[in-house]
Amino acid sequence: MATRKKSLLKVIILGDSSVGKTSLMNQYVNKRFSTQYKATIGADFLTKEVVVDDRVVTMQIWDTAGQERFQSLGVAFYRGADCCVLVYDVTAPNSFKNLDSWRDEFLIQAGPRDPEHFPFVVLGNKVDLENRQVSTRRAQQWAQSKNDIPYYETSAKEGRNVEQAFQTIAKNALAQEAEVELYNEFPDKIRVQSDGNRNGNSDNCQC
Amino acid sequence: MTDMEYKERLIASVKKEVKQLMEEAVTRKFVHEESGSVVSLCAAVEACLSQGLRRRALGLFKTSSTTALLHKVAKNCPEAAHISQKVQEIENSDPNKRSSSSSDSVTKPTITKKGSTTSMSTISGGTSTTPPVVKYLWIRLALFEKRLAKIIDHLVTNAVNYYDKDSLVADPDYGSILSSLLVGPCALEFSRAKTPDYFWSDPHADELVQRHRISSGNISNPSCGRPIINFKRSLNASSDDVNGASFKSNSSVSAAKDYVESLHQNARATLLYGKNNVLVLPKDVNEAMPGYLSLHQNVQSLTIKWTPNQLMNGYNESQESKDKSSYWNYALNINVEEIVYVHCHQNRGEDTGGTVILVGQDGVQQPPIHFPEGGHMAAFLSCLETGLLPHGQLDPPLWSQRGIGKLFSWPQKHKKRVLSSVLENLEANDENIPIDYVFRVVNKGNHQEFLATHQILDIGKTSPRRVQLSSCSTNESSDGSSKSMSLDQAPIDNQKLEPQNKTASIALVCSTMRRQIISRAFYGWLAYCRHLSTVRTHLSGLVNGRITPNGDASEGLTKDRWLELHEDGIIKNEEEVYRLVYYGGVQHEIRKDVWPYLLGHYQFGQTQQEKEELDDSTKHYYETTMSEWLAVEAIIRQKDKEKTAMAVAKLSSGSGSGDKNKDPNHFEIEDDDDDDDYLMENDVFEEDNDSSARIETEEKKIFEEPMTKKPNKSSTDSGNVPDDTDIVDTDEQKQIIETESEDAVGGNNILLNSKDTSPSTPSSYQTVENDYFDYFIDGTTSCPEIPTPMEGIEKFASIEDIAMKINDDDDDSLQQTASVIVTNASIDISNFDMDNSNGDETKNDMSPVQEECNTGLDALQEPKSACVSPASSNGGVYSTELLDSFGLNLHRIDKDVQRCDRNYWYFANENLDKLRNVICTYVWEHLDVGYMQGMCDLVAPLLVIFDDESLSYGCFCKLMERMIENFPSGGAMDMHFANMRSLIQILDSEMYELMDAHGDYTHFYFCYRWFLLDFKRELVYTDVFQTWEIIWAAKYVASSHFVLFLALALLETYRDIILSNSMDFTDVIKFFNEMAERHNMVSVLELARNLVLQLQTLIENK
Repeated sequence: MATRKKSLLKVIILGDSSVGKTSLMNQYVNKRFSTQYKATIGADFLTKEVVVDDRVVTMQIWDTAGQERFQSLGVAFYRGADCCVLVYDVTAPNSFKNLDSWRDEFLIQAGPRDPEHFPFVVLGNKVDLENRQVSTRRAQQWAQSKNDIPYYETSAKEGRNVEQAFQTIAKNALAQEAEVELYNEFPDKIRVQSDGNRNGNSDNCQC
Repeated sequence: MTDMEYKERLIASVKKEVKQLMEEAVTRKFVHEESGSVVSLCAAVEACLSQGLRRRALGLFKTSSTTALLHKVAKNCPEAAHISQKVQEIENSDPNKRSSSSSDSVTKPTITKKGSTTSMSTISGGTSTTPPVVKYLWIRLALFEKRLAKIIDHLVTNAVNYYDKDSLVADPDYGSILSSLLVGPCALEFSRAKTPDYFWSDPHADELVQRHRISSGNISNPSCGRPIINFKRSLNASSDDVNGASFKSNSSVSAAKDYVESLHQNARATLLYGKNNVLVLPKDVNEAMPGYLSLHQNVQSLTIKWTPNQLMNGYNESQESKDKSSYWNYALNINVEEIVYVHCHQNRGEDTGGTVILVGQDGVQQPPIHFPEGGHMAAFLSCLETGLLPHGQLDPPLWSQRGIGKLFSWPQKHKKRVLSSVLENLEANDENIPIDYVFRVVNKGNHQEFLATHQILDIGKTSPRRVQLSSCSTNESSDGSSKSMSLDQAPIDNQKLEPQNKTASIALVCSTMRRQIISRAFYGWLAYCRHLSTVRTHLSGLVNGRITPNGDASEGLTKDRWLELHEDGIIKNEEEVYRLVYYGGVQHEIRKDVWPYLLGHYQFGQTQQEKEELDDSTKHYYETTMSEWLAVEAIIRQKDKEKTAMAVAKLSSGSGSGDKNKDPNHFEIEDDDDDDDYLMENDVFEEDNDSSARIETEEKKIFEEPMTKKPNKSSTDSGNVPDDTDIVDTDEQKQIIETESEDAVGGNNILLNSKDTSPSTPSSYQTVENDYFDYFIDGTTSCPEIPTPMEGIEKFASIEDIAMKINDDDDDSLQQTASVIVTNASIDISNFDMDNSNGDETKNDMSPVQEECNTGLDALQEPKSACVSPASSNGGVYSTELLDSFGLNLHRIDKDVQRCDRNYWYFANENLDKLRNVICTYVWEHLDVGYMQGMCDLVAPLLVIFDDESLSYGCFCKLMERMIENFPSGGAMDMHFANMRSLIQILDSEMYELMDAHGDYTHFYFCYRWFLLDFKRELVYTDVFQTWEIIWAAKYVASSHFVLFLALALLETYRDIILSNSMDFTDVIKFFNEMAERHNMVSVLELARNLVLQLQTLIENK
């Protein structure tokens, strides 16, 4: 697993419960919308082949449980992510406010090499609903303040903007991948060795 | 853009792609032909070559494509001619493609047969955004054939003929840069075979199951993995050998490919020796097979491998893969560390090149390896000796110096040894010198072994790896013990040895063999004992020691049996009930009666009357609790409503952001960043207080009296709450604010907001009377009395009605609300105190997201206990924290209840409200735990069976006693994972090895949902019922961890699919998510029971 396949992009979808994470994923991958989704327990993923910059890549899109309490599970799933999609519900101001903590939590748990420039994408979902409560401007402001995260307003129900949003996700994830690959190989090995040394030393001390 | 800039960019893009490609080559050791970098590089080269191409140079009928250019230059450039010919061959081989002749981007290379065409079509089939073509055919081909740089070079040199003067190729600098850039990529090896990347277009679980059915139909032995495992063990392949792990998934092309790749020199292992067409006569085969013999050295060990030619030569999946896979059984993979003797024979019959037989420390002989003529055996031996250094050696050593190694120069003491060897002798093939030799492999790393070097009779060395290996394998000792080491044909024709020496040596060999056989048996037995002790210590806790026989229980608990078991309405024989349920489940009609027993809600031995009493008290408790939280819910609704009204008012007065406010329903929340909590509305209230827009404080006096009588320090955020609540805090002034919202949304409100004067503290108390709720009852049932428990269902229904009314935000209910304005303002002081003192102690780390609103959860405990009877519930006091925390939970419950099993008939109607009530009641009672996703799934089946809220609630509480530990707040999940790991290790070592090889899925998260919900999401409802009752009964019959065995049974049901596809962590998650609700639960349950029995037997047999 040291040289992870370049053609696989791992994307994590995060956000409060019932903002439409599962729906977005299924709309994008299967072009279907269902009213029958249950609350996601644990994690699930779907894969989709996409062409980005003349390259065929496989997107592995991970859908997670929305309740924050299940974030402790995250570590296993977040690891090695290439892009993180933050979703909120435009009719639920709280889900928007929580974006900050979702983002922070992801950065803590996934521990990407370069947290400042890790690619996020923000999606304001359910724009098909009448009672919108979070304005575009406000969301855009927030996204801009966080290192210019791309922002899309989507409707998983109607499929609005979903394709475009995920195309951006794939593109940014791929850019991230390429960057990481450059640094990846050798530093990893060194780090492993130094770990071993440290362990060895501590053993010696105990003797 | 000027020409120069454009050329600059073209060159830069080529540079970039070359760099990318070379990096890929370095990191992955090879580049796949279909790699994206190849495509991009070809595109970049194409762009360079197209720029400034002279159309006329290509002749009249040619397009300006670079393919035409290639054909053109073919006359003058041999490399181009070669490629040109290939391109034409490919185009001609497919008549459909002829039309596209000499155009660049439409030809599919057929040379890359199934490899590229299939993978390309699957990829493009998924996307459909790009046409399924292989672009830049000739450039690709030239690159793969390593001729591209030469062709470009030719073009550059002769640019005058084909290109415009100012073109890139004709440019003296850029032209040569271009051709030199491509020298690197042309030196690369490109691989055509499918790499694991291409397995990422994962087949769906259905397809995997389907495929498995087809393939398992062909294979006579369903557990085809077993013989291979045995084979592997008998060769003592080290378990940490990656190749060994992938090796056993014999049907996987990728594994085969990896294996062949591993035979070459690579970073992991140094190739010390390699020879093709070495003959080996595997057992069960009549004729010796040619194959590739190689010697590999890595950090830990030295490995001898032999692979039949059939596997080496262009492994081709289309050709009778079944036939091929059988060859894997013959391949050898031998760790030299495990080898004790190397026997060499020459000149036996037609075997002129020499034969080597390796004998393991367990006495098992490997199939003889026949070398071709020409000193290959000697070369192999010397490589082996080199490889053993510095920690080991061959004994006696090979003599590399001429003359020293003559046989007669051996010291006398060595004569005991059968033979000795000399390189020169082998090469000279002298008739007069011995031709059979035995070498001992000595490992200096092993101290004992080294000391024993000069004693011929030694017991097999104990390598630590071997012990470790045996401890985790069940049938370690079973294989091979019957094979006695075949007597090495001692050199009968050895002229130089004296007869008695010969007999002595034969005797020695025999006794060595005998000892080795004995020691092997001993170690096998020892390993088995260790294995069993591991099982006992680690897993005995998982199953009950006593094995309960199945008997006639396979029918399960039928109605008749159930009635038979009653004696005077009492069930005494609980063991029998559990046994019947465990082996056969419960008949659906009587589930409603049986389940409360299984869950422990009813006790066996209870009379009918006792049960009824229990029912009544449960119902009473349930209704009381419900009335509490319904009241709180009303307050929360009210607050929400106000907040919304505020937001509207704020927006309409604020008008700063008018552009998006065309309709009043379209709210904007433009609050500040520090206003983190949507539910905490202090700022809103304060603001309104200041502006005094709508809030009247006229009823302040109502609360003043009780407050001054027993004042409290209510600043809960101080973190230092004094126990002595009698201290009069003059700063503390309670204000009771009746807020009246006069806007369009609500009617009159009765929210009492007792407000702390200090604006920063969130410690305002809201008081609500429980007769506030009682009023609802009055309003709808016209009965002034609080519903008594005995009044049963009609009254209960009225509560529901109200709940629904509240839910609906009906105007009528608001109207009622308006008139409820507090009449009894007495504050329950004891509650109040408790609120204060507990407020700060309880910091529930419920979430990083909403942590701030979870303080003071314990405040709930007091009202809960103080309000067991409706009579005492007058004047409940609820802190803002409590309201906020319950509000948050309500919000989540609503979202999940709406989504819970709405496609199941039972929940298609108002039954969802019952579900909500049960969960809300539970959460209200356990607010410190709060609502967690998954609870809905656990309540739903109970409700379907009972169709009774209070009974469901009672049973749910019992169920949660066990289940709560699985949720993130408990620690059971990790324990389950650890136990699964041990179980798999013991019961399916092959699966364990796969998991170990994919280190990534040792954490077993694919079982997460199984354990969290007791498989509820994995199964259809009828199966859920049966599975659940069996889990409950299993606790008393077989194992209180029956879920583990169910999980294991699920895994085992699909083990062959998992193994043959060499699934990793993600594949397994996907597979089981796709298989949800489609398992054959009858057989899975049966298997689970068998697994329990298997483990019980294993433990019992001491």
